[in-house]
Amino acid sequence: MKKLFVVFLLLALVATLSLAKVKIQFWHAMGGWRIDFLAQQAEKFNATHPDIEVQVQYTGSYRDTLNKLIVSVQAGAAPHVVQVFDVGTQIMVDGGIAVPVGDLMANDPTFDLGKFLPQVLSYYRVNGKLYSMPFNSSNAILYYNKTIFKEAGLDPDKPPRTFEEFKEAARTITKYYQGNVVGFGFNLHSWFFEQLMAAQSAPMCDNNNGRTGRPTKAVFNNEAGLKIFEWLNDMKKEGTMIETKVEDWTGARNLFISQKAAMLLSSTSDVALMMNASKENGFEFGTAFLPTPADAPAGGAVIGGGSLWIIGGHPDKEIQAAWEFVKFMADTEQQIEWHKATGYFPVRKDAVEQLLFSGYYAQYPDHLTALMQLMLSEQNYNARGAIIGAYPEIRTAVEQNLEKMFGGELTPAEALKRAEEAATRAIKEYNEVY
Amino acid sequence: MRKLYPYLLLIPTFVIIIMFIYYPAGSALKLSLYKTSPFGNRTIYVGLRNFRQLFEDPEYLYAVRFTLIYVSVSVAITIFMSFIIAYMLTRGVPGTRIYRTFLFAPYAVSPAIAGTLWTFLLNPVVGHVNYFFAKLFGIQVAWLTSKPYAFYALIFATVWKMLPFDMIFYIASIQDVSLDIIEASTLDGANTMTRVWRIIFPLVSPITFYLVIMNIVTTMFSSFAIVDVMTSGGPGGYTTNMIYKLYLDAFTFQKRGPAAAESMIMFAIMLVVTIIYFSFAERKVHYQ
Repeated sequence: MKKLFVVFLLLALVATLSLAKVKIQFWHAMGGWRIDFLAQQAEKFNATHPDIEVQVQYTGSYRDTLNKLIVSVQAGAAPHVVQVFDVGTQIMVDGGIAVPVGDLMANDPTFDLGKFLPQVLSYYRVNGKLYSMPFNSSNAILYYNKTIFKEAGLDPDKPPRTFEEFKEAARTITKYYQGNVVGFGFNLHSWFFEQLMAAQSAPMCDNNNGRTGRPTKAVFNNEAGLKIFEWLNDMKKEGTMIETKVEDWTGARNLFISQKAAMLLSSTSDVALMMNASKENGFEFGTAFLPTPADAPAGGAVIGGGSLWIIGGHPDKEIQAAWEFVKFMADTEQQIEWHKATGYFPVRKDAVEQLLFSGYYAQYPDHLTALMQLMLSEQNYNARGAIIGAYPEIRTAVEQNLEKMFGGELTPAEALKRAEEAATRAIKEYNEVY
Repeated sequence: MRKLYPYLLLIPTFVIIIMFIYYPAGSALKLSLYKTSPFGNRTIYVGLRNFRQLFEDPEYLYAVRFTLIYVSVSVAITIFMSFIIAYMLTRGVPGTRIYRTFLFAPYAVSPAIAGTLWTFLLNPVVGHVNYFFAKLFGIQVAWLTSKPYAFYALIFATVWKMLPFDMIFYIASIQDVSLDIIEASTLDGANTMTRVWRIIFPLVSPITFYLVIMNIVTTMFSSFAIVDVMTSGGPGGYTTNMIYKLYLDAFTFQKRGPAAAESMIMFAIMLVVTIIYFSFAERKVHYQ
């Protein structure tokens, strides 16, 4: 009797163990209502994958998430899947903590990388290897207030295409409204500088923007860089531009939504938000590609946003489960929902096809702008954007010197020179340990 | 056994202090001698180079200078104003309780919320402050993004936030001043100014001493949230103080070694301030 009981117990134990779900943690940095959205996506995944349970956690901003990841890795309690922002890519590769998704793809015959947009893949490829799964991809586009354009006597269907036209439009609007509305609201973020550099096919750092080797110095003190600094400085001096404080996305959006600024550079991920806000506030807006200097060579749009990383150090079973989840998040249906709800564009060709054929873009053309900007991009190292370990510090260097220029302390040429010097120092300091 | 007993009782406290204060402090000291990669997979011993680089870095030296100015200005204003307000609130004016409640409210607000609040109010375009300034004087000021207004805004918010704490302490201690002394001074013909600055203020000096120390600690170490939310250290690093620079280096730029060195420097400064003040205060401050 006793023996039988032991056998029974053992059987029960084995049964529960084999039935036990594989639990994986997913950390992301998408705040606001997107927390619920991603939780729902995970629910859907759990429902269709009965042997896996994904636990979703919002871990604060991109920076906070990266910091938490660093601490958790050192404490041996890392999550399985984590969303990391574009400029964190080199840091993640150098950290050597991730299982490159390229390796997992190679072992998964059901997965077809050919379905993904090559532009997105080429951004995330480092040394020829795909380390993370593209998830929320964006680039910067121009938002402009059609209602204000019309009233100020500008053609609402002809957004400014060059720096010169842009300045002129800003001047016309500011003058028409006697300064109560300014032409341009500038979110003081280095990301826009980087995007405008790529749009002119100009490099940020050496070694082909860090694509063919670890960068050793910054090289953005060039003609293209100077044109951007001067363009911004001119508008500031003329009073046709208001700048926010550093990296103030909300502040910049509010300038546009409250119709205090007629034009705004922002991420395409704001499209859905802007559609709602413009309806509430009774104005019409349009979107366009980034402006460039009239004589600049054609360039492209840099991928921004984040990607999903699978962190190593977990049992094989869990890594496989994490891979399943990452695959799911990058799948057609999820990418389409995500695109519609936010404005991040889909990272897959079949998702784009479906959206196109269903007539979605005829109805919501603003959702197409960023995607077209990316599709029409030149494909070269400069247009693809730089990959640098010290990027966060470089961004601060660019932003601080822009601020000093706006304050009248530095000329555009001086500000650009100092920003480049500070960026080179940051790169050298980063390289010391590698 | 009797000798051992008190030590036994102290063990739990010490375990906590060692785990959460001494051990991390020791680790920080060690970290300050290294350069590490963001994920800590590569480290090189660099000795005192992190410190040397900091003292050669004009940005860091600026942050130190700015901290000194920021701390001294905001602490001086807070102490002065809180004393004056506390004095007025102890005069038995009708409605004192209501004033007191209103004045104390900012203390209950967290620094991050306070920063957000002021950011809204001081928004150059849609903020209330500029709305009134534009109506009354016809000017619009970019409070948080231009020099020197970013500094004024920061000082204002800091004082606003710290004032209630000091005020409550002053109210309590002013009420504690013996009425006999006040009466005697009135009979001797002392006017209000003399009474306040020659009699009451010296009598509450132990509280002033305590508050100055507390305020220095607050403005040096807890000003992070208010700086981050209001100015993000801008424009162009203009309002970056030591604690904000430390945050940037540690958590934005992932330079843990230099950041640890900065925390050691802050520790040393606080140590010196405390020692000087204590030895000075022991002799000069009037205890009743």
